[in-house]
Amino acid sequence: MFRIGLRDTRAHFRRFIMSIIAIALGVAFVVGSFCFREMLNDQVAQMMGSNSDADVYVRGATEQKQDGEDGFAEYNSTYNEISTDVIADIEKVDGVVSADATHQLSNVVLLDHNGDAMATVGAPTLVIGVDEQDPWRSAHFVSGGYPQTDDEIALLEDTAGKAGLKTGDTAKIVVDGEAHEKTVSGVFTSPSTQLGAILILAPPSFVEHTLQQEGEDTSSVQFIGVYGDKSTPLDAEAQQRLADRINKELPKSADAHAVTGDSVRDDATKSIQDQLGFIQPLILIFAAIALFVGAFIIANTFTMIVRESMRGYALLRSVGASPLQVFASVLVQAVILGLVGSGIGVLLGWGLLELIAKGMTSSGMPLSGSPAPSATDVVIGLIVGVVVTIVGATLPAKTAATAPPIQAMNETVNPEKPVRTRGWIGAAMVVVGAAWWTLCYLDADKRVDWAWLKDLGSGWTLGLGAAFIIIGAIVCAPAFVAPSAKVLGWIPEKLFPVTGKLATRNIGRAKRRTANTAAALFVGIAIVSCLGVVASSMKTSVSNLVDNNVNADYVAMTASMTQPISTKAVDAIEKTEGVGASSAVYMLPTVKVTNAAKDVMTAAVKSDLLTRLAPIEKQDGDAATVIVDGQVAVGRMVADDEHWKIGDVIDLESENTSVDEAATKQASEAYRKKIEEQATALQREAQSLAAAGDAAGAQAKARQAEDVVRQGQDVDPKQFVRTKTETKTAKVTIGAIIDDALYADSIFVSLPTAEKLTDEDMMMITQMYVQAKPGADVAKLGEDLKKTAKPFYTVSILTRDEFKSSMSSMIDSMLAIIYALLALSIVIAIFGIVNTLALNVSERTKEIGLLRAIGTSNGQVRGMLAIEAVILSVFGTLVGIVVGVAAGVVIRVAYEEQGLTTLTIPWGQLVLFLVVAIVVGLVASISPAHRALKQPVLDAVASE
Amino acid sequence: MPKTDPIVARAVDLYKTYGDTDSQVTALDHVSVDFRRGELTAIMGPSGSGKSTLMHCMAGLDVPTSGEVLVEDLEVSSMNQKQLTQLRRKEIGFIFQSFNLVPTLTAEENILLPLQIAHRPIDRDWFDKVVSVVGLENRLDHRPSQLSGGQQQRVACARAMMERPSVIFADEPTGNLDSRSSREVLGFLRQCVRDYGQSIVMVTHDPRAASFAGRVLVLSDGSITQDMDHPTYDDILAVFAEHDDPDNGPVDVEPVTTKED
Repeated sequence: MFRIGLRDTRAHFRRFIMSIIAIALGVAFVVGSFCFREMLNDQVAQMMGSNSDADVYVRGATEQKQDGEDGFAEYNSTYNEISTDVIADIEKVDGVVSADATHQLSNVVLLDHNGDAMATVGAPTLVIGVDEQDPWRSAHFVSGGYPQTDDEIALLEDTAGKAGLKTGDTAKIVVDGEAHEKTVSGVFTSPSTQLGAILILAPPSFVEHTLQQEGEDTSSVQFIGVYGDKSTPLDAEAQQRLADRINKELPKSADAHAVTGDSVRDDATKSIQDQLGFIQPLILIFAAIALFVGAFIIANTFTMIVRESMRGYALLRSVGASPLQVFASVLVQAVILGLVGSGIGVLLGWGLLELIAKGMTSSGMPLSGSPAPSATDVVIGLIVGVVVTIVGATLPAKTAATAPPIQAMNETVNPEKPVRTRGWIGAAMVVVGAAWWTLCYLDADKRVDWAWLKDLGSGWTLGLGAAFIIIGAIVCAPAFVAPSAKVLGWIPEKLFPVTGKLATRNIGRAKRRTANTAAALFVGIAIVSCLGVVASSMKTSVSNLVDNNVNADYVAMTASMTQPISTKAVDAIEKTEGVGASSAVYMLPTVKVTNAAKDVMTAAVKSDLLTRLAPIEKQDGDAATVIVDGQVAVGRMVADDEHWKIGDVIDLESENTSVDEAATKQASEAYRKKIEEQATALQREAQSLAAAGDAAGAQAKARQAEDVVRQGQDVDPKQFVRTKTETKTAKVTIGAIIDDALYADSIFVSLPTAEKLTDEDMMMITQMYVQAKPGADVAKLGEDLKKTAKPFYTVSILTRDEFKSSMSSMIDSMLAIIYALLALSIVIAIFGIVNTLALNVSERTKEIGLLRAIGTSNGQVRGMLAIEAVILSVFGTLVGIVVGVAAGVVIRVAYEEQGLTTLTIPWGQLVLFLVVAIVVGLVASISPAHRALKQPVLDAVASE
Repeated sequence: MPKTDPIVARAVDLYKTYGDTDSQVTALDHVSVDFRRGELTAIMGPSGSGKSTLMHCMAGLDVPTSGEVLVEDLEVSSMNQKQLTQLRRKEIGFIFQSFNLVPTLTAEENILLPLQIAHRPIDRDWFDKVVSVVGLENRLDHRPSQLSGGQQQRVACARAMMERPSVIFADEPTGNLDSRSSREVLGFLRQCVRDYGQSIVMVTHDPRAASFAGRVLVLSDGSITQDMDHPTYDDILAVFAEHDDPDNGPVDVEPVTTKED
């Protein structure tokens, strides 16, 4: 039987090509998704290895409870912070070469040699505080060396290359809105690529000083990194020994604990990898579609093969082959097919990943993670492919094995099992799903107020609804094939009376097959139309908001995600000739509302914003006057969530860190005293040695004493800066509640109120709205503003239209990725349609032969199959569009308060989907029609 | 438009072989024959005699190795697909052994199908006449699966008559029918010839069916061995008795499932 199976495989190989492609694509997705994840993991692990390369880390010893809600909690914030004072103790430990708390600045922009701000694709710009004494072991200098003074920086080779800078050049970095000139002291590489991050090394004193200026406490840190060797990393055992030695020496009061570098890296790697894990399921959805279609194509192909080979099987049976043997001979073919298909799929997935890696590298995100599939990936891919093939082939194989020989001799198509039950079950599921969506809609629209519904949250209601509707639609689709074919066939029947009628009736013949074929398109189109509705609603909502609510002529925005607009820039813009009203939006990240249930954002604005630049349309009270009076105005959404009303008092609190002058002075005094004492002691020893006649010894001691004094002078005074944390609180009354969407999610105060709580340094200015003076030339103002903003490098001035399109282009680039995946699912759907038609044609060989014998032209046969294919693909697409748009509508309502104020259905896009569906149908019908016409009429109709 | 030529179709020196040179089978061995207008001609012969091949070549379903086929003086054997389609639309009708109706269409739709495919106007009077002759008035909105074998074949006959082709080729039209249905169908075919002057060429191995014909051709090993005008059932049986081994008696009806090649 095995040999018969093998021979059949060879004979049917052409038939198998499509199945192989489908399996290969599905497996490629599966393997690709695993490989992609592993590549990222590999990259993360590599980066951890080179970026957190200390042999031992000293961290807090007391574990801290985290707020459960915060999913994006930093992986290293689970222990208490430790004081940097402990560094001195660690450095004394035997075997420690250096110990240092490395600080980083992330809100910096590097300017390239043309003076333009350098942007990255999502990767950060980091200034890392290291120098000769506290080095970064993994950095290897290609030229030059560590920065020696605060006026020097070193650059990563990738960064230097992109910026067009080399050792000795003058570079500019923008810190806190001010450009600083720096000399490039060196260019270095690190063992792993940095995913396009811009890395700058600067002396620790510079970094710490800048941090202190920004109100950050540099005296306590999460980690202190310890090196046991200047050049080579310690192995695991040596790390452990060093950590043990350090732990012995750490004072109890420091509340600190030393752990090996490996363990910290492992934890950190794992936690980042977990955060990246979301990408895989997304790819796997499309893998599932591909495999579903694949299994289905295989089932169809085998049905065809079995049908054509029925005589052979009947013969085998009649000469004594057992049903099991016949079954096996079919299954052997499936296994071979599965192995070939998934083998190709593994290679395809790998190739795809290599392409992605290349693409990312060339778009500025160099990857050094390996995209090669692991042995497990290959095995998983092969197993998935083979299992899917076997699942697909089992039913046809069973038919082949169990059909009685006599029946097998006659060409009969068994009538389909009725689809009514399936229809009811599916319809019930769709109704349940729709009920969930309705609940979600009613809840979001505030028509009902049920606590359990609120507790469940819109995510769950949406998700449950979607799951029920999609599965229900797939289940009940066969029952709707015939009626919808009648409706969809109306136009073709009018255009082509005979072929249209034949095609329309044919669609209803194999309802399950038709429905399954359409399902592949349905799922893909549903996802994309849903996103299309959400995205276009997002765009129009933003643009309506700008059109209706924003009167500003220009908006100043920061070009770098991490760097806010500096107050100097705000001042400069305000002073620009022709500026009438203007207001910056000062976010107050340190200010918290202590009597609110959720985290609420607080912002300080000028009253001009509320009255002139973006006037409020609907509010209770008068926001503009109450904030001047020191009260707050609250967005409607916040007020509803917290059940606040006008007249309620809220508690604002802000933790402010600033330089503690007294403590700083004390620290540097203490240091000076210590140096003096040391010097005096050494001098005294020198004197006593001199008195004892040891002139050489005395000289040496005297030199030591001088060294100590010089060291004391060389020490950077910034090292002694101590910071303190003050908590300021204020009780303020709610004076107004604003309904407008623009203001719905925040609390607003005036600048003077804000300054009572926190320093101007700690406010973040993200946007600034500017209006021209009445009568001023708006266009000229724009040019002047651009000139004003130029020296601040990171401030961009946008016109109203630019402001709108800056929002849309972000949405568009997100959609592009989804569309790419859609394109793939369409390709797979085409395979499905081609295959189903091919099976239909093979089942209707006689009938098509008859039609041709009584005068049907080749064109009419092609037309009939084309209409069938088009009806099929339009059916899938229409259901997909209906479900997708419904989902989009519900999502839009559910997130109305987050700014999705206007529903826009992208009709143009939906029509495009339909046109694509028609084209897909036409294309898919070409090959089956060719096959149908290749069959001689005689073979089809000759009497048996 | 009555046609005057008394010959509706003719085969000229038809020669047809199957298989490659090693195992060549001669199906038609230089056959020449004329089919007269307004006559029911039966082609008979044992399995492998070449009777089906002759009909397939005549109908443009198969291409002869050499020789010419003319239908209404059009040379069928050299036609391309397009011309064949036109030929099938205008000049040729078919009736098959296994009925070959379109299962998705009702009886009426099946009968009208050839006209619709050819974009020809439907003659309702003719339709009613044809339907009444085959006795399907009450079955017109039934699907083929709801009809008996005899009824299905009558639908097929009506379909062939509907377009009033020059010649109808019937390939074992009674092969799948019981004797009562067979008689009905054959009666209808004879009526068409008698009342409406239809030309019909029928391949059959059933002497009783052949006895309905006005002319019976007997093929054996690719050649026409007998050409009988208005033979009786007994005449036909007698011919077959001569041909075959006398011990076996007259040729019996072949089992339906054996394929003739």
